[in-house]
Amino acid sequence: MFTRFSDIDRLFGTMDLLRQRLDNLYTDYGRPYGTRWLMDEGFLRANLYQTGDGFEMRLEVPGMEKESLDIKIQGNYLEISGSRDQKLPEGYKVHKTERGNGTFSRSFTLPDDVDGNRVEATLKNGVLYLTLPKSEAAKPRQITIN
Amino acid sequence: MDKKTEIAKRDDQNIEKTRELYEVAPAVDIYENEDEILLYADMPGVVKDELSVNIDNGRLSLSGVRKLETSGAASWEEFGNVEFVRNFSVPQTIDVEKVEAELKNGVLTLHMPKSEEAKPRQIEIKTA
Repeated sequence: MFTRFSDIDRLFGTMDLLRQRLDNLYTDYGRPYGTRWLMDEGFLRANLYQTGDGFEMRLEVPGMEKESLDIKIQGNYLEISGSRDQKLPEGYKVHKTERGNGTFSRSFTLPDDVDGNRVEATLKNGVLYLTLPKSEAAKPRQITIN
Repeated sequence: MDKKTEIAKRDDQNIEKTRELYEVAPAVDIYENEDEILLYADMPGVVKDELSVNIDNGRLSLSGVRKLETSGAASWEEFGNVEFVRNFSVPQTIDVEKVEAELKNGVLTLHMPKSEEAKPRQIEIKTA
């Protein structure tokens, strides 16, 4: 009996392993080769996290200066646009160009309204970090019963 | 611990461990002129300490680990922690001592100067 239980455990272990592999496979789905910056499609990869009283967003913006990024917020509508224009070195022979230049624009509808005055944006190592606190009106309020 | 549990334990240890980090290839631009080979690689989120560049025996390997700070529950995630890995064959004539690497805004710039012997030389023609 005991051995049979451990067999089941092992079976589930193997299934977990397979599931993880498949998860990894799908994170790369639709990309031509490895991770390719999606600049050519005018689209940058973004992550959104919900913290209790706001949102945090991360965007991949390799090789972009803060001057070339533009962030707009209105209510729960967030728009991030920018451009990458890297000078091609002169007098060089080109072997490979995969990185691409150009402009991008992406807009998001956040689950809640954001207080535009308290939004913070930091650019670090080619990743844009946004802290978006919810506006007071969007926060849940405790109602006291008289 | 009886023998059966011991055996089961050992089996558990034998389960192949998956890699914690998924390996991806960074996008690169490669240029060359008479003096050097110039390489750019996009590695957003990689810090200097997590990046390694190796040139050995005509083989250039780049590896950068990205560890992002996250907090809260993910609503959607389009990128995660990965290891940027890519290997290239480079000519043996690269002057390894003088290779310069710079990481800025998530882009790695690698200057690989060619050694003096490998550079083309202009020969002056003397008129007799």
